[in-house]
Amino acid sequence: MKRTFDTGNAAITEGAIRAGCSLFAGYPITPATEIAENMSRRLPQVGGYYLQAEDENAALHICNGGAIGGLKAMTATSGPGFILFADAFGWAVSSEVPVVIVNSQRVGPVSGITGAPGQGEFYLSRYLTHGGNFETIVLAPSSVQEAFRLTVRAFYLAERFRTPVIVLADQMVTDGWETLELPESEAEFTAMGLEVVPRRIHPGPEFYPASDAIDIPPVVLGHNTGAACSDWTPTDRGHDTEDVTWQHKHAWRLIHKIRNHRELIDEAEEWFLDDDPDVILVAYGTPSRVVQSAVRAARREGLRVGGIRLISLWPFQDRMFSRTATYLTVELNWDGQLVREVQRAAAAGSSVHFWGRCGELPSSGELLETVQKLLKNEPLERDGWRTEKW
Amino acid sequence: MSERIEILISGYGGQGVVRIGQILGQAAVYQGLYTTMLISHGTETRGGYVRSQVVISDEFIDSPVVERPDYFCAFSAIAYQMFKGLCGPQGLILHNPDLVSPDPLLEAGHWAIRAESLAERELGNAVFANVVFLGALSSRLALLSAEHIAAAIRERLPERFHEKNLRAFALGQGLKVQVQP
Repeated sequence: MKRTFDTGNAAITEGAIRAGCSLFAGYPITPATEIAENMSRRLPQVGGYYLQAEDENAALHICNGGAIGGLKAMTATSGPGFILFADAFGWAVSSEVPVVIVNSQRVGPVSGITGAPGQGEFYLSRYLTHGGNFETIVLAPSSVQEAFRLTVRAFYLAERFRTPVIVLADQMVTDGWETLELPESEAEFTAMGLEVVPRRIHPGPEFYPASDAIDIPPVVLGHNTGAACSDWTPTDRGHDTEDVTWQHKHAWRLIHKIRNHRELIDEAEEWFLDDDPDVILVAYGTPSRVVQSAVRAARREGLRVGGIRLISLWPFQDRMFSRTATYLTVELNWDGQLVREVQRAAAAGSSVHFWGRCGELPSSGELLETVQKLLKNEPLERDGWRTEKW
Repeated sequence: MSERIEILISGYGGQGVVRIGQILGQAAVYQGLYTTMLISHGTETRGGYVRSQVVISDEFIDSPVVERPDYFCAFSAIAYQMFKGLCGPQGLILHNPDLVSPDPLLEAGHWAIRAESLAERELGNAVFANVVFLGALSSRLALLSAEHIAAAIRERLPERFHEKNLRAFALGQGLKVQVQP
């Protein structure tokens, strides 16, 4: 095992390379530029291709094109580029293109603040394109080491489900430096629990089965498959159609191939939930590390406080909120996003609260204070703003 | 109980704020410890504000946030004003008295180091000031060996600057701590 001190951007690059990525197309943006830089250096070393696109929409379209040409592809960006993926993402979903998309969230909306972390794309990552009728896989690393692991995992899930997979990171993960262990052999790679599905090619003529079956390799354009891989609703042979019967079959497949195989996707970490705690803190990404710190501090003070860290965000893991409790989501935004989903999922009789800020992580001391307020049923006002009005 | 050391370094872009954090983190990795470094910065590469938050521990680091710095390297007056309030009585603030005027009301200790003029005089260039600070800091950091920090300097800086940076490091190490109450 090679032990280094490096950034999340470097970890994501190495994860992609070791997962067999051979095409990166992107457009530089803080705080994900280093991924493009690193990929431009690493891909030629492994016989892959690096392209700088004219914008992010083109970048993802290039990745889609490469993927249906037989390559494993990835792109990386931050919020202002992520929103431009809307068209190409829909194409990837509909044509069932395995591709990996990294978004390092910064402060928004629009260009916002470049070098500071945000978590404003929780819902956008679920609905990165229009029209509905699909399910999305989103993974959220909270450390440099996990950024490596989840990038490898994203490629694995993209191949098995034949769908775009989003790695939803934040500026602290990608720009942050941390101890990073990289496997140096196949055995070490496997011992870390990592798996790779090699790219296989579907010979056709079937474009997709009208079922929830996974592990069907993607079609490669040409090769007499007859699949158009266009922006129209495809028949099971990949021909364009406006027939609503085919639309139903196609949509049901896009939704249920993911919903019916949750066991491959769902991942979460729990802290101190065994004694049915009074307050449960919920977070994903870097804030979850401060949450872990705050939960431990609360336990040292004898408070019954627990924590949940979501590692896979979408499909949302309702089962994690089956306890009746007081939940507090901790997020890097002021408007409250994760909190809405937790409120929807929380067991009857629960109360759900929100702690948010943008651009800067909370301190564990602040979170502990908030927990103490909740335990005393005090309102969570901050600086005169009613933060509970989300 | 595990040992957790929090180090805050802040100044302008171009002063080597991130580089010092990289060297500390690399040294911690050599030493088999856990380490995290968060970087915050403005859009400017040079001249803008930069902050590194470094945590070093003998166990997995949950929060990477420096909430109560054990050491604060204040490379500019703005950085000092922004973060001095985080330092409690156990904290030590390393600063250049030519740039930073210590706040007499603060409980934290202050260590005045004229790193720029020292680097200018001894090494012919004030650019080595950050490594002078690193040397001074390392003389207080029992959990990191000087050998590992020197090895990290060689790893993280271009070879043609190794000799002068190692001399700057030794200069900093040799400074006597003069903590002002």
